Amino acid sequence: MTTRQPPASPFEVLRRGLRLIGRFVKWRPRPFIRAVAGAAMFASAIILSALVVGRITDRLIIPVLDGGEPIQNRVWPAVAAILGVALWKATGIVMRRFGASWLQQNTQADVRMRLIRHQLDLKLGWISRRSTGDLLAVTDSDASQAIWILGPLPYGTGVSLLLVGTVVLIFALDPWLGLLTLVSAAAIVAVEVAGSWATFAQFERIQELRSEVSDVAHESFDGALTVKALGREDFETERFRRSAETLRDRLVQVGKRFAFYRMIADSIPLVATVLLLVAGTARIIAGALTPGDMVSVAYLFSLSAVPVRLVGYVIWEMASSLAGWERVDEVLSVDEKVSYGDVRAMTSGEGAELDGLEVAFSYGGALPVLRGVHIDADPGTTLAVVGPTGAGKTTLMLLLARLWDPESGSITLDGRDLRTFARSELSDEVAYVPQHAFLFDDTVRGNITLGVDMDDAEVEEAARVAGAHEFIVQLPDGYETRIGERGTTLSGGQQQRLALARALVRQPRLLLLDDATSAVDPSIEAAILRRLTTAELPATVVLVAYRRASIMLADQVVYVEEGRVIAQGTHEELMESTPGYARLLRAYEEDSLRRTA
Amino acid sequence: MSTVAEPSVEFEALPISTGRALRRAFGEAPALRKGLGVTLLLAVLGTIGQLVVPIVVQQVIDRDLLAEQGPELRSVVGKGALALGLLVLTALVTRTAIVRLNTNTAGGLKELRVKLFGHLHRLSIMHVQAERRGALVSRVTNDITTIQEFMEWGGIGMLIGISQISLALMVMFVYQWQLALLVTIAIFTYVGMLLTFQRLLQKAHDRVREKVADSLSVMSETITGLPVIRAHGVEETAIARVETALQNQVMAEHKANRLSALLFSSAELFAASITAAVIAVGVVVGAARGTSAGTLLAFLFLVNLMIEPIQTLVETIDQAQRAAAGVRRVLRVLDAPIDIADPVDGVDLPLGPLGVRLDRVTFRYPGGPDVLANVSVEIPVGRRVAVVGQTGSGKTTFAKLLTRLLDPAEGVVSIQGIPLRNVKFSSLRTRVAFVPQEGFLFNTTIADNVRYGRPGAGERELKTAFLELGLDGWLERLPDGLDTVVGERGSNLSAGERQLVALVRSWIAAPDLLVLDEATSAVDPALEVSLRRAIERLTAGRTSITIAHRLSTAEAAEEVLVFDHGGLVERGTHQELLAQGGVYSRLYADWNRATRPAAR
Repeated sequence: MTTRQPPASPFEVLRRGLRLIGRFVKWRPRPFIRAVAGAAMFASAIILSALVVGRITDRLIIPVLDGGEPIQNRVWPAVAAILGVALWKATGIVMRRFGASWLQQNTQADVRMRLIRHQLDLKLGWISRRSTGDLLAVTDSDASQAIWILGPLPYGTGVSLLLVGTVVLIFALDPWLGLLTLVSAAAIVAVEVAGSWATFAQFERIQELRSEVSDVAHESFDGALTVKALGREDFETERFRRSAETLRDRLVQVGKRFAFYRMIADSIPLVATVLLLVAGTARIIAGALTPGDMVSVAYLFSLSAVPVRLVGYVIWEMASSLAGWERVDEVLSVDEKVSYGDVRAMTSGEGAELDGLEVAFSYGGALPVLRGVHIDADPGTTLAVVGPTGAGKTTLMLLLARLWDPESGSITLDGRDLRTFARSELSDEVAYVPQHAFLFDDTVRGNITLGVDMDDAEVEEAARVAGAHEFIVQLPDGYETRIGERGTTLSGGQQQRLALARALVRQPRLLLLDDATSAVDPSIEAAILRRLTTAELPATVVLVAYRRASIMLADQVVYVEEGRVIAQGTHEELMESTPGYARLLRAYEEDSLRRTA
Repeated sequence: MSTVAEPSVEFEALPISTGRALRRAFGEAPALRKGLGVTLLLAVLGTIGQLVVPIVVQQVIDRDLLAEQGPELRSVVGKGALALGLLVLTALVTRTAIVRLNTNTAGGLKELRVKLFGHLHRLSIMHVQAERRGALVSRVTNDITTIQEFMEWGGIGMLIGISQISLALMVMFVYQWQLALLVTIAIFTYVGMLLTFQRLLQKAHDRVREKVADSLSVMSETITGLPVIRAHGVEETAIARVETALQNQVMAEHKANRLSALLFSSAELFAASITAAVIAVGVVVGAARGTSAGTLLAFLFLVNLMIEPIQTLVETIDQAQRAAAGVRRVLRVLDAPIDIADPVDGVDLPLGPLGVRLDRVTFRYPGGPDVLANVSVEIPVGRRVAVVGQTGSGKTTFAKLLTRLLDPAEGVVSIQGIPLRNVKFSSLRTRVAFVPQEGFLFNTTIADNVRYGRPGAGERELKTAFLELGLDGWLERLPDGLDTVVGERGSNLSAGERQLVALVRSWIAAPDLLVLDEATSAVDPALEVSLRRAIERLTAGRTSITIAHRLSTAEAAEEVLVFDHGGLVERGTHQELLAQGGVYSRLYADWNRATRPAAR
């Protein structure tokens, strides 16, 4: 994985930032143009309003209040000019903000959709190397950080126009004052950029410290029972205090630095205005300027002070967005995609014939998990996969469901290699149920259909076979009961039965059960498995099982140990021929009340 | 964990006013309040710098440019120098105020954070309600961060903004009270209007937060559920769900942004109206009353000082409300009483082996049904007891009562005749060990994890512990031995191995009474042997009470206690209980049915 170097200077931030912005703007140019047009209106309005005030000073305020001239009808044009310019400015602001918001929000959704689509295409091999929390952080917060620059960007454009306009205007009025303006504008920009640059990395560090504090809290609270049982609350509080203090020290330190830059940046426009008033007076004495011109210039300074200060903010946001985009781009540029062929699913009502030949597999090239595995199941039969923990049973199931691909060897369904199926086709023939049922924050029904259009009768029938119908009808809203974070919580066994119903409703030709009923009461489990293996369902079934009773239901048993198939045959045959198998079955037998208790 | 009704202590916001919440927060974290008066004074003094420009404009125009004798550069330079000096001074003062506020906030919130953390660890909710822990973590993280960010940005902005507006108004009143009155009335009217709209904006923001939470949860499900989505070939449905959620978020955000853009731009129109009114009224009325040109121009500059604070007011209020909600949630947690407290004048347990006695003990969660009813039992010193029963029978609660992880609602639990409520925690926690079902490990080395049982244990002691429990061979096979890092929640080890480390941890604590909740997860047969041997050695010579999930444990125990529906229904040896033909024998038969060959 190649991670790019962090930007070395503010100029590089600007260069890379503009490139990133260019990419986003290409996706949605129109709101961007609207926003920038609004920003230009805003900038021109500020300059116009300064000119208007200068003109009012020369034509109205000084003549009337100082010269004692009659007012005549000079007031209304002045009021109209001020309000007109303000209307122009307000319109500019609205256009800019609407455009920027639309651009920002939609681009954020675009980036997230790209990430989601991309991740759904990637191999599990890649996904499993990243934690899901990490991937979620990329899709959620990094994506939002990456596009955040689109908010202040039009504003920044407007401010740049304002700066240029201000300097040009004041030069036109008087070159000396123009020079003074140019110097102070350059000073503000320099200080803002330097300040943002100096504090940006520090703020990133603060984010890291924040997540360290949060990690300590998560770990400590997760282990609350252990902490309490050993009476180590004070120790934990002390541990938390240390990380909270590190964060505090850093916050204080960065706060000081930030306040320093802020002080200088805030002072420059004020100092410049005072200098300008002095220099302006000199120019008025020299006859090069009217008092109104000087008021215009000072007024322009006072109006621009706030916007110009935000130049640094734009650079800051750019640096922050770039950091977010790096992480987004890292995911988007991964090309370990699952490859598909063009074989279509067969939906005859018969079980599939499964063959695995010389299958080998390892996670990330480490120790081989499976080596030279041969496995075959005849149509409509049940095959149990048995072996000690870590033998590779779950891995084998993942390969049979094509959630992973074997490193060598092949797995075929009626002679068709799993890899030659078109996307979403294999799942019409194969259904896989893992040990840990994953349920969506949706209704019971939605969790069974997964959004596919199905008859109520089909759904109910599947739930019946899975032994789920009985408890579902007792839920507050039956099949329409919402489950998950904001709904009813189900027990582990109930969750597993829903996941099973989800698989059955798809009428698979090959059903893969990876200890999928482990949390279900043994007597219910036996009933479910019996229903599965009778003729109601013509599927071929492969199941990983730990209970003797479940194993006994299978036509054939494969015994695996350390990634190899040691033997395949009926239970009785294996009890005779394979000492490891017989030992393991005795161990299961020894193993306890734990399923009932 | 059992599925019985558990207490539902909702950790929501404390329903008190913002002012009271703030006062309480100051009380809980005194560093927040330290020198606050001086800081506020400095902040106000610092804003005087903003008044320099309008005043200089007025002075230069009236006293120099429009003076009878004509402008004189020297006098203007003098005023300029004075102004510059004042600007430098006020800038330094502002900086000091900001640094003080930042430092005190960071320090005070650290105090609050640590206090909250310590308090949470003392509440029984922490180990009873696993599903609420996530929410509790955000009390010590997100809530505090929200308050912090408000203080650093919005809070300072608000402070400076308010003092800027007030000082500007004061100067206006000094210059020309009629015009100043006009501006004041206008400002109050406008702010009143803004506050009305602010409620609309708040609703829009609430809606945004709701939609953001929705899309986060859908994205999270799609990523976590990726294998399920792929296994069932429902990628397109999943994508459509995410798309809908994101679109809803876009619309909600955009709506809120539009509203805030309108409010923001209205401040411009407002400022322009005041400017126009000041000029019109100032010229018309001023001509008669002798208002100077410089004064009127100073007004225009002073009005500009008010725009920014008012423009950001709406957003700052929104931020302030979120921070206040955070403060209230934090206070609610601090107000939750410590349900199981260390006794004030506690006693130590007597030295030597310990026996336990329960007298008519009943347990229920507040407002819930009895989980355990009227249990009386005596476990003599040195006995090895197994506790069996179905899920929900009350056996885990029994274990927690013995170790005072819970207190009974009625009745007394005592050890060697001393009621547990009178035993010092320091004595109780070192003499009585509870080994939970899941061996929880911290993300550090094996050595540190074992040392958790006895702080300061040396390496030799640690090695002896492994040797004594027959686990030296296992330890040697680890890549770095005692220094092996176990990963997050011990994820580098298997469930069985985590259990092993937890056992060593209890052994090194050298308890005289051991309460052990057996693991239910399937363990490798080879490791199973190690585990069983370790448990045997750990319990040897001690009073031990094991919550049994394995038949062999019950068989090997000197006495079996059978729980059913919250009551102790049978006790005796395995053989005796089988002969009785009661609950125990039925459990035994059930188990047999499940594990013996089934007829086809």
